Amino acid sequence: MPTVILLDISLSMSRPLASSETTENHTRISIATTAINAFLDYLAIHAKLEYVALVCFSSGYEVSVSFTRDFDSIKSKLTQLDEGDKTCIETALLGVNQLILGEWGYQTPVQIILITDGTCGTGPIGRNRIIQALPLPPPYPAKIHILPIVSPHDSCLQHAMPLYQKIIDLSANASNNSSGTLSRGAVYCPEHLTMTAVLSAMNRICEQHYQEFWCTLKCGQLETRVQLFPAPQTVSHEGVTATYTLAHQIHVVGFITQQDMGTPIAISKHLVIPQTQSGNNHNNRENYGSKTPSKDGSGTEGSTTDEDMSDPSKVPNFCVLLHGALKVEGMSAIVQLGAEWWGAVSAWCEPSRTRRSCLLLSVMRPGVSAAPWLGPLDQLGPAEEGSPSETFPVRAWRSYSGGGSNCAWARPHALLADVQKVLRHARKLPDKTQHLYKELNRLRRAAISLGFSELLTCVGSALERECAALPNNSPPECALQLAHAAAALRDPRTALDIKHTLQPLASNFTVTSMSH
Amino acid sequence: MFSNLTHLLNGLSLVGPVRRGAGGDVVGLVAAIESLSEASPIQASNSQTDRLVQNRGRIICITSARDDDSITSLAGIALNTLIQQNKKASTPQPPASPNASNTPPSLVIHYCHLVIINVAPEKVDTRVTNQPLTEMGGGLMGVEVIVTRASALANLLGQLVLPHYRLATTTVTGIPMKEEQNASSSANYDVEIIHSIEAHAGLRASQTPAEAAESVVLRWWTPRGAEGGASSCSGPLWRVTPSDVASRPSACLVNFLLNGRSVTLEVPSRKGGGRSASHVLAAQGGELWIGALGGRTPYDDPPALSEGAGGRVTDYRIKEFGALMQLNRLGPLRGSAANGRARTRLQRHTTYWPLTISSTLIFNLGSVMDPLTRLVVQESLTEEEVDACRSVLLSLLGMETRHEFPTSQLPSNMRGKSSGRREELWRQVWCELEALIRAHSASSAHRALLRVLLECRAHNHSSDSESRASVIRATTDSPLSPVGAGNGAGAGAGTAAGAGAASEVWAPRNVLEALLAGPRPSRRPDFAGRMAAGSRPAVLYQHLQQDVEAQH
Repeated sequence: MPTVILLDISLSMSRPLASSETTENHTRISIATTAINAFLDYLAIHAKLEYVALVCFSSGYEVSVSFTRDFDSIKSKLTQLDEGDKTCIETALLGVNQLILGEWGYQTPVQIILITDGTCGTGPIGRNRIIQALPLPPPYPAKIHILPIVSPHDSCLQHAMPLYQKIIDLSANASNNSSGTLSRGAVYCPEHLTMTAVLSAMNRICEQHYQEFWCTLKCGQLETRVQLFPAPQTVSHEGVTATYTLAHQIHVVGFITQQDMGTPIAISKHLVIPQTQSGNNHNNRENYGSKTPSKDGSGTEGSTTDEDMSDPSKVPNFCVLLHGALKVEGMSAIVQLGAEWWGAVSAWCEPSRTRRSCLLLSVMRPGVSAAPWLGPLDQLGPAEEGSPSETFPVRAWRSYSGGGSNCAWARPHALLADVQKVLRHARKLPDKTQHLYKELNRLRRAAISLGFSELLTCVGSALERECAALPNNSPPECALQLAHAAAALRDPRTALDIKHTLQPLASNFTVTSMSH
Repeated sequence: MFSNLTHLLNGLSLVGPVRRGAGGDVVGLVAAIESLSEASPIQASNSQTDRLVQNRGRIICITSARDDDSITSLAGIALNTLIQQNKKASTPQPPASPNASNTPPSLVIHYCHLVIINVAPEKVDTRVTNQPLTEMGGGLMGVEVIVTRASALANLLGQLVLPHYRLATTTVTGIPMKEEQNASSSANYDVEIIHSIEAHAGLRASQTPAEAAESVVLRWWTPRGAEGGASSCSGPLWRVTPSDVASRPSACLVNFLLNGRSVTLEVPSRKGGGRSASHVLAAQGGELWIGALGGRTPYDDPPALSEGAGGRVTDYRIKEFGALMQLNRLGPLRGSAANGRARTRLQRHTTYWPLTISSTLIFNLGSVMDPLTRLVVQESLTEEEVDACRSVLLSLLGMETRHEFPTSQLPSNMRGKSSGRREELWRQVWCELEALIRAHSASSAHRALLRVLLECRAHNHSSDSESRASVIRATTDSPLSPVGAGNGAGAGAGTAAGAGAASEVWAPRNVLEALLAGPRPSRRPDFAGRMAAGSRPAVLYQHLQQDVEAQH
């Protein structure tokens, strides 16, 4: 999840710490920058793909560093911060909203770390006004953490706490949280107003919200450790109280062609990054005594020299093989993420960088019906077992076909168009005799269904008018057919019988005319 | 949607036309309130857990009342019925519980939104007035009265349904279509579509209820290279239906999409003149979907695979894995446990599966190995299949005794390497074959095949050197034998005999040895009881029985 560091640079942040124990002259802002540096250092190790932006605010706001993976640029910016005037949280959040919507749109979940000094800059009335004016909930899914650089016993923190709580509450029920609920943010208050306490509070944020997500991708007996980025969130399915957390083993169930797969309705997508250095040896040890001979890693145990082992890129990895094969075959792997929860792994390449391709896991909505065109996901099985009639896509009972045989008169012009069609055919007799009766039957069925018998009477008289207006040289069949149709429409014996269909007048006119 | 339309019309035709003096609104209203207290399928399935979820409902009553007073009395009747119904539902039913367990318990209605639509004929004045939502019965019921002309009723119902199911409409404007009468000319049409309100989330970050009722206008835009379904959209998709299902422009749009094309929609007249694609319409599985576009993805600019783990290995068996994927293709089956069967199958197919070309010989030998490597992954083998495999093994054995090696089958880059010692190659082939067949020795036919293989090896090696065969046995059979971890000390074969020195026998290239030496369940020593019992069935826990008898 992209992260915005929202740093308070108001004048009050420049207050030095009152503590006598430290010889160094720390101000709140210097503690804040140290904490941010620690945060960035943590990300550099655990989540170096994370995008981070730095927004500074006082009464106004400024996007100091826009979203970047170059954490050093943020660090260098931190050394050259200006001093602002007054803390004004609502303006800052408004600016953050704009920044995020402009960059990520409203579908990407975002984390915001608000670092401030525990004052809301106003008295109780002003505070309530700020609460009213908060631009929350944000239009995008967000999680806001607040790190006040203040002693927990400070009275101004007690005063600001309702505001912080409100910010976190409001951000938790984002209007656009269709992809399941994010866990909530929190206020991470340091235990004392010291450097170490603030750093440990920052550390708590890192450990609770920036954990890298490792899991094992298993395909039968082949397996490899992978990292998923961004780390998947716990998902709670709409309405249902159960929550779904991604299992630490992802099992490949089988493969289907990209064409059959279509676009999975993903609630989130994650890069599948094969495990690099750390833990690799550990993994080998795990496999060492196991009964499966072909797991990656164990296969390389004896054959590679120590030099090769130290370079993980030279150790065969199942992930790379899977990616290559998926790409060549144009297929996706269906994976089971947990109970009643599926996803799809496919080779994905960014349109702008066609040569850099990678594995992408699309996490579907929990439940067996997450991809309707694949049928119930728990019933996906070996294709060879199935009968030939069972193929993709599984057609939905909802169908758009066969629309021609029905009338929907929700709008006045729809009814008009249907009646006009009948009359158009009536004027083109005898060529359109079959069409006329087809349209009449369609109209009649709809009218009877809706209890709209007046319509049939009207159409009957309209046909009679057409009959009377026939030119003299028209074939006699026209008049007969029109009169027959008009009478049949109003025939009291079959008036409300929906199963009855009107038939053209069986005459020998067509036969005689053909014989000429 | 059309199929629903047929369903609806059929249902309506059963109802028949309006009969004078039938039922009336009161009867219908009472029935509606009673049905609100019945549990819906979802409520019934969650009945145990979801006691906290309120049972709220909405009743839309279409009637034609004389004046405001009769509307008020209608609302009063509804409220009374509601209170009575709730009383019935909230009274515990202990006396009836034994026999009433089959009937679903009626639920307390927490809130009922009653919308009374008073329909008046076109040219007749009505003495009913619109009434905004008013709460009755202490928040138990909210009543809203809407007066409408009959001609506007359909539109009104269309508007009412949107908030009820959290839907929104989009008008796709500027769709070029051929004229029905004159196919050479084309004109632009608009089609209104209905979908989940969530699809508009980005367009209307802060919208008023009045705005939400309006249709969002998006322009038809097919930029070059934008084909490819909804793949460009990274978020969720929502189902779409045209709001005017039977109109020609709707049918045109639907058919366009169902034929597999997709279309991008843009926000019209954006300030600054730039175009911005906002949504994509596409069909999948015979249904229409809308997805929102835009925004970066947090996973863009991924790290190159070639720089990651295993990225610089160049000889992955990609083609073979592709074949394996084709063999493990999924299809829609009936019945549960299909997933499990697919996974078991995949498990079987990957039991012995070297990742790279350079780490295997047998999978590079192609036609020489042909039916064997293909058949052995099956769950069971027929007699003929075992025979086919046996003949592969025998032909291999023949080649070896003739001191040949099918080098021509190997990929060119391996030929150079393998030109070394033929014996070495054969040893690797046999080791791999044993690993492969052992890994599959679940069925009796597979075990028979394994016996054939072991005989082949034994025969082969006994003619060659007795001691070497025994070494191989010792190495492969002992679950505890140490893995030859690259200590290529005594590289020459046959320099030492006996299990203790086994690891030194092997050449430095000992991947397979490492594999084979792993403990395998199929080769563990037989259960002591069975060995003692010989051909008779073994009895478990014999001593227990003896102990019991001794006590009595």
